[in-house]
Amino acid sequence: MIKRALYTGIVAASAITLSSCSDNRDYETAICALADISGTYAQEKESMVNIIKAGILPKLLPGDSLYLITINSSSFDENNIKAQLKLDYRPSQANRQRLEFSETLDKFVKDKEKSSHTDISGAMMLCGGQLKKTQAGTQLMFIFSDMKEELKPGLKRSFNKDEFNSIDITAMNVIKLKADNIDPQKYRSRMEKWGKRVMDHGARSWNADLEPADITEYIDDKR
Amino acid sequence: MSELYIWPDMPFLSISVLVAASMVFLYLARTPMQKALESIDEGIAGGLTRISAWINLVVVKMRDKNRQVLLESSIAETEDKILHEFRRMESGYVKHLADYPALHLKLDESIAIVDADYTECGQVIPEAPGWNDAAASIAQIKSNGSSDRMIEKMLKELHKSAIEGEKNALSEMRKTASQRHKILSGMSSTWGKILKIMKTVESKVSLVLETTHKIEKFMKEYDAIRQGGEQSIDMLSSRATKLFIFSMLVILVAGFGAFINFQLIALPMSELVPAGTRVLGLQVSDVAALVIVTLEVVLGIFLMEALGITNIFPQISSMTMGKRRLLLYASILGLFFLASVEAALAVLREHIAETNAATTQALAGKAITASESDSNITVIGQATLGFVLPWILAMVAVPLEMLIESGQHVLTKLLILIIILLGYIVGILGHILNTAMKAFVHLYDAYIIVPMKIGELISRKS
Repeated sequence: MIKRALYTGIVAASAITLSSCSDNRDYETAICALADISGTYAQEKESMVNIIKAGILPKLLPGDSLYLITINSSSFDENNIKAQLKLDYRPSQANRQRLEFSETLDKFVKDKEKSSHTDISGAMMLCGGQLKKTQAGTQLMFIFSDMKEELKPGLKRSFNKDEFNSIDITAMNVIKLKADNIDPQKYRSRMEKWGKRVMDHGARSWNADLEPADITEYIDDKR
Repeated sequence: MSELYIWPDMPFLSISVLVAASMVFLYLARTPMQKALESIDEGIAGGLTRISAWINLVVVKMRDKNRQVLLESSIAETEDKILHEFRRMESGYVKHLADYPALHLKLDESIAIVDADYTECGQVIPEAPGWNDAAASIAQIKSNGSSDRMIEKMLKELHKSAIEGEKNALSEMRKTASQRHKILSGMSSTWGKILKIMKTVESKVSLVLETTHKIEKFMKEYDAIRQGGEQSIDMLSSRATKLFIFSMLVILVAGFGAFINFQLIALPMSELVPAGTRVLGLQVSDVAALVIVTLEVVLGIFLMEALGITNIFPQISSMTMGKRRLLLYASILGLFFLASVEAALAVLREHIAETNAATTQALAGKAITASESDSNITVIGQATLGFVLPWILAMVAVPLEMLIESGQHVLTKLLILIIILLGYIVGILGHILNTAMKAFVHLYDAYIIVPMKIGELISRKS
């Protein structure tokens, strides 16, 4: 009787331990950086890359993912994914991957590619899709742009209701345009519109005031 | 509220009529209402009083049980101590008594030597009787004439030979005395040997006496515990509480040590056990590091068991010496292996930390700086810590056993205190409810005082 109870206990304990084995994805973070290469913002490439290298890359943990997607005239295209990375669980491999990604970013800075229109929505949709694919517990989107969308004639960009479900979206390093300087209200209303738009389509949060120096703290908070 | 008014236009009148009607109703329903209130009071307060009484009963039973457990465990502990002392005495007897025949033989030999020397010293050459007096008498005889010349010559010869004989006897005596002195001086070393042997015997006897005193002390303690008096219960309880607190403190410190140990090996384990799954929310590499730390504690427990310091597993303590020795060597080997692994992991950890720092610096676009001497010191320090910590953690078995043994009593005592507190709370609650019910009955009577007085007047008149 006691033996049977003991065996049942051992089997139950094993079953509980096995059932408590979970996938690491809930604890992982997937980050997507959208880089605007249209118009005047193309000049910001270097500062943008520096923020990614110093603020995002070192904060990535084993298992985390990072994507670099460009915003050009028609961004909803797989070719816009310029670099992607999923960190290995071995710290030594992870460091090697970080350095390789850093080199890819350096090459991206040197690249002279520019676009005439700014399809931010398309890039956001592409990014959202990539983030969802990872099934990571924390999904972050950083948009490096002036946030002024200029769609090419004929392009249609409408978000699904749950397009940005469980994604934290941040507009980073937003530069003010000449028109914004003349009338700051234009800038404010533009940012407000973006905020409302992404929140209406399921985003977990919207942030437009994040300083580059606070990016590491922000990632830690969201994890 | 206004819906209840009989005449909505006259609220005061409506309220007055309502109050009066309620008074009349409550006056008429006084007896059944009071009975109902009494029943409720009896139900709630009585129930609570019963719960309180039941709690008291449980406390008494738990106290008895705890006392019994404490006594029995203490009896078993004292029995173990006495048994241990008996074993010590037995092993002492076996060891020393095995030496004793040789010791005794040595003592016999030394005594025989002393005896022989003494006998030899006793063989003194006897002096020729009366020779001195005879020689003196002959020397005093004076010659009277020529007729006595022959006699005189003869006596002179006799005197001469007597003196010579005395001289020879003296010389022989001196020679013998010198030999005896030699023998006596030779005896001193034998006396020394005997003294040494006697000292050895004394130390061994005092060791046995010490063990006997210990056994006597334990036996007295054992008797006191067996009698189970209040004094011995208090003494045992206080001892258990003291043990619990001290072992708790030591375990707490050991816990911090285990945490440092874990931190030391968690990062390098991710290099060795890379996996994308988690167990109970922990990364597999962290679980692996935890397993290593836990294994060290387990091996420490086996080590202490094999050494006979702790007695957690009766199967181990009842093993033969050979098997226990085997377990001891296996535990030491296992701990040495884990300590070496930890030292290696600590070195790897430092290497990873350096690489991480260098990568972060490279990503930030800064020049990589590193001090060679500093890093060596850190590596040596971490490796030493990694090697030493498992051995320290292995010692945790001793306070762990103490904590488990004393914890049973202390936790039951704590539980009893909580239950007593609960009993008090229930009792107070019952009392408050009872008082509240009585107060409510009085307030009820106060509310219907007017119809009551009218009723009393009517009944008096009638």
